[in-house]
Amino acid sequence: MKRITLIILALGTLANAQNTPIKKDSSNVVLDEVLVIAAKKNKIETAMKMAVSVDEFLASSDNISFIKRGAYAWEPLLNNMSTERSTVTIDGMHIFGACTDKMDPVTSYVESNNLSDIDVKSGQEGSMHGATVAGSIDLKRKSTAFALGQTWNGAYQSGFEFNNNQFFNLGNVSYSSDKLVADGSISYRKAKNYTDGNTDEVEHSQYEKFNTSLGIAYKTTNLSSVRVDAIFDKAEDVGYPALPMDLSLSRALITSVTYKQFFEDKLIKVWDTKVYFNTIEHYMDDTTRPENLVHMDMPGWSTTYGLLSKVNLKKENYSSEIQINAYDNLSIAEMRMYPQDRSETTMFAYSWPWVTTRYAGLSISNSWDISEKSQLNFGGTLGLNYNYSKYIEFNWIFHPGASQEKTRFLPNLYASYQFNASGFESSIGGGYGHRAPSVSEGYGYYIYNSFDRYDYIGDPDLENEISYEANASAGFKNKKGSIKAQVNYFYIQNYIIGRILSQGSPMNYQSVGVKGYTSLDHATLFNFSMHANYSILNNLHWKGTLTYARGLDENKNNLPFIRPLSYQTSLHYSYQKIGFRTSFNGDLKQIDYSPEYGEDETPSYTNWNISADYTFYIKNYKTVFQIGAENVFNEYYSTYADWGNIPRMGRNIFTSLKIDL
Amino acid sequence: MKRLHFFVIVIFVVVSSCTVEKTDYEAELSTETTEYIEYENVTSITSGDYTVNLEALNGTLYKGYNEIHLSIINTVTSESLQDAEVTFLPIFTDANGNTSSCPHAYNLEYDATEDYYSGFAVFTSESDTTVSWQLYINFQVDTQSYAINQTITVEEQTNMNLNMTAFTGSDNEHYFIALVSPQSPGVAENNLVAGIYKYNQPTEAEGTFPDLSQYSYSAVQDYTLLLDPRMPEASMGNHSSPNNEDLIMESDSLYHGVVNYTMTGNWTLNFILQNAEGETLKGTEVSTEFTPGIEGAKSDLYIDILF
Ligand SMILES: [Cu+2]
Repeated sequence: MKRITLIILALGTLANAQNTPIKKDSSNVVLDEVLVIAAKKNKIETAMKMAVSVDEFLASSDNISFIKRGAYAWEPLLNNMSTERSTVTIDGMHIFGACTDKMDPVTSYVESNNLSDIDVKSGQEGSMHGATVAGSIDLKRKSTAFALGQTWNGAYQSGFEFNNNQFFNLGNVSYSSDKLVADGSISYRKAKNYTDGNTDEVEHSQYEKFNTSLGIAYKTTNLSSVRVDAIFDKAEDVGYPALPMDLSLSRALITSVTYKQFFEDKLIKVWDTKVYFNTIEHYMDDTTRPENLVHMDMPGWSTTYGLLSKVNLKKENYSSEIQINAYDNLSIAEMRMYPQDRSETTMFAYSWPWVTTRYAGLSISNSWDISEKSQLNFGGTLGLNYNYSKYIEFNWIFHPGASQEKTRFLPNLYASYQFNASGFESSIGGGYGHRAPSVSEGYGYYIYNSFDRYDYIGDPDLENEISYEANASAGFKNKKGSIKAQVNYFYIQNYIIGRILSQGSPMNYQSVGVKGYTSLDHATLFNFSMHANYSILNNLHWKGTLTYARGLDENKNNLPFIRPLSYQTSLHYSYQKIGFRTSFNGDLKQIDYSPEYGEDETPSYTNWNISADYTFYIKNYKTVFQIGAENVFNEYYSTYADWGNIPRMGRNIFTSLKIDL
Repeated sequence: MKRLHFFVIVIFVVVSSCTVEKTDYEAELSTETTEYIEYENVTSITSGDYTVNLEALNGTLYKGYNEIHLSIINTVTSESLQDAEVTFLPIFTDANGNTSSCPHAYNLEYDATEDYYSGFAVFTSESDTTVSWQLYINFQVDTQSYAINQTITVEEQTNMNLNMTAFTGSDNEHYFIALVSPQSPGVAENNLVAGIYKYNQPTEAEGTFPDLSQYSYSAVQDYTLLLDPRMPEASMGNHSSPNNEDLIMESDSLYHGVVNYTMTGNWTLNFILQNAEGETLKGTEVSTEFTPGIEGAKSDLYIDILF
């Protein structure tokens, strides 16, 4: 089984168990939830840094890598597959970025201080929230549970990073009582351009982000509660050095109302229903790039309504979750080009011609404890996906007569068997699933990809991508440490990728040609990771990770954005109130690159990072001060997934201070 | 609690109202072009007991292709004249008093269901103070002939999608290409319709005016109009579109093809006119290179449009 939660394994099992058991007194259940959540709360931090962005945090996960277009809003790749192939949700809610150039992955609309943890599931096990191939990333918001008495909690974090003059302030507070709970957070980050390993400034790499969230829960009866949540996120003046445009404004409002009903002594343990609404507006700006030949306006909008309802069942050694998931999304993206003689008429087209996506799915996931040592997990989803392109005439230019409406049937299935005995753990599993093309793959119109410098055209009649997946893991654990190896293999039929079209000519002046999204007969992906940790002394811990992946198309050519052999090793030493960490991480040379998709060979690199922290008390408030440096050698490098080979950040000294109130 | 609610509502309102308004696409398409679908009266001329009503789109005759409807009413009986022989000849008089005509349908066809006579004229220039257009309409009722001679006004064509061009082909014949449809194209596959006509050069000297043999035009038969649409704007770098189809003649004597416009704005329709034998009469092949910043060279034969 390849369930990789980013919380510690033990905590993960505890959290899972907490969903189902019912105590005599419901407030106990709730209290237990508090404990779990409280324990998770500090987990949005990496081994190196306690004040991290969501991206930096996700980067510490084994099977997540990133495409980086700058310092902000990295696109997470799960199992070396881009966001079209994974589902990224916030508490199970679907949100779709409003940028045709992928400047705004869903992860860019949250902040580390409104999340409690991030649940990453690999492959078909991630299909509970919607059809997927790569898996799912679910961002879990903080949600304080009801308490017996009135309690206030809070934290304030501030810091400065010297390389890009990033200054950040994060604050969150929660109130909890018998009947009412409120969680609030507010954060502000502002960064200037960063400098690379040659101490050259990387222009257009600045950003500014404001995020605030509020959640209010009210206990309606002893066994039920209603919760209202909202996140507001605003990014302004964000530079994307790898792209020909920047961002002037991106705003998101993410709201939901949740009703939760617990049941006592019944087969059904919890019924959890949520309705949600989110809306994103995204405005790109190229006035910051006077060298551009053509001035363009490229606004985008994405609005989603959804429903999520699930019940948890448990009987003896069998537990199950049944979920209904439905959403409706409208994605719109426009482009307007201005001629050099501004008195002439502007040129207009939709890059997303008002594309509606509706999805409804019924999922079930089951867990059966066959014995003390073995467990069988299995489940599946039956989904119906509907697309509608309002201005289908745009799509007809390249695909005359393509369907304006398209309904797809998306089944997803998985099963895995886990066996644990005296410290040994192993698992084996498989999956089968379909996914529908994304809005860009299906309906995109002249979307400029600055990586391979082609304009991309979607095809509404693309076949479903079908994934056959096998995975296995083996590990050993004792008091001193653990070691675990995981592999997975995907055989993906109708793999969707851009292929050069012989017809049409570029629209964007930087472009060299037109590519159409087409289906390869198949592609294969192999991922391997090995993870080990060892306590050398009571207060000296070592951790190491090794990952390798290979992706091939039908002609055994390399797929793009496949991470070369990479490693990470870190030591953590603590002495009384002082903690000290050091880590090395890097990628080997990218030999298996894909020139066909615009890649070139990326040399190897190594980063050395160090940090130290000191814990003290200001009037009984626990305070941690941390100082550290990333890329201590000030190495000049860019990774295989850096869009346009933009150099990464050079030496960066960071400081942060956190007070728990 | 109340304050929080208020806060949430305020945020909601602020955010759900977009900072930048979405483009109204339908309005966007009609800023540069107006589509006329209604036939309205241009002029009414009375001759004896008969009144001739001339109708055209928007009640106006424009430079370029004009479809015309003629109804002939007996003013005494108020009945319309059905299935008569009606001829139609537009005559142009230039500043020096020389006369010429333009591609037109000489014998108008009677449409029984609509009860009018239909035809067309491709006016080659606008009326102004020095030049004028006159219509010569003849029809016969029993043995009585009626001849009408009426000055009309040809207005400037404001819709570039109905532009026309006139030229001399390599065979020394005079040709006319006039766009008929679409009046208001979209970012889409558009059915492109054009009329292609030729001046039938007279073999004999002019007789009594108006001598029809001097003013004879006909739609060319089985020619091909090769099409290569491109955006003339320099920054668009000679951008073109896929899946276009050359224009070939259909049963309505007009030439039909397909043009794809990938975005709104200025487009140049580059043409090559070939006769039934496949010989090029006019037009040159244009570069297919994408040249950002440099305007692509147009064909010798082209029509500019804008939408
Ligand atoms: Cu964008």
